[in-house]
Amino acid sequence: ATNDTNPYWVAFKKATDEMNLKIVSQVFPGGTDSRYIRALGIPAIGFSPMNNTPVLLHDHDEFIAADVYLKGIQIYQNIIKSLANS
Amino acid sequence: VRTENMSAWEKNEEIKIFREYLRIPSVHPDIDYTPCVEFLKKQASKLGLPLKVYHPAQETKPVVIITWKGTQPELPSIILNSHMDVVPVFPEMWKHKPFSADIDKDGKIYARGTQDMKCVGMQYLAAIRALKSGGATLKRTLHVMYVPDEEIGGHLGMEAFVKTDDFKKLNAGFSLDEGLASETEVFPIFYAERSIWQIHFKINGNAG
Repeated sequence: ATNDTNPYWVAFKKATDEMNLKIVSQVFPGGTDSRYIRALGIPAIGFSPMNNTPVLLHDHDEFIAADVYLKGIQIYQNIIKSLANS
Repeated sequence: VRTENMSAWEKNEEIKIFREYLRIPSVHPDIDYTPCVEFLKKQASKLGLPLKVYHPAQETKPVVIITWKGTQPELPSIILNSHMDVVPVFPEMWKHKPFSADIDKDGKIYARGTQDMKCVGMQYLAAIRALKSGGATLKRTLHVMYVPDEEIGGHLGMEAFVKTDDFKKLNAGFSLDEGLASETEVFPIFYAERSIWQIHFKINGNAG
């Protein structure tokens, strides 16, 4: 659950709030491997730190901007630190 | 200015590692995952972290896990998952060769898998590298997991692996996996997904 009853969500949200990232919770439009994890009752979040980027998965000319990629590394540092110390 | 940036990006160690991973054509169908496993072994050894390879379904369908043990390893662990496979390409439709990982003047890195999802797989390791070199210690154990075949349903990958004792032993409390790009500033966070229902019709009788 994406609320206070899930300590991992609290830790995830704390990290994104501290970075002033704007986030919105959604239901994924297709299927990913997260469904097998969730089926075991383990909470799983789908998140790729790619904003200001056209949605090109499975498309021609799929790309990511180098600065978006590098910013994503910093974002993961904070999220991983927060989750692993929760 | 753009050219200076381009050369700075090309020299960046994390971009170099990412592009090396993008150049492995782990593309459907009939993927040979061996080069991915070898590449990940090299990354784990550079990070000084242990790596294990599991084969929950078949010898040709490896699940690779790089582990950073926490200071309180009895706590449930965090899984950082990504898949190694990518969907096919029509190379003639591409501005750049889809497995060359070219960088253009604007810093755009072109390749199949840049978004879905070799970026995430390498960003996990880059973040761990930065945390380690900054002297961070983490309470919970991290398991960075690389699975095969997500793009064809994960039946011989994640679906098979979660049923094993090896998975149970990871004592996972939470997992992160891929999301999607966003055209705006806002990052979508996916907490659930739609079920895929495929309906098969069997129709008897004469064709019209």
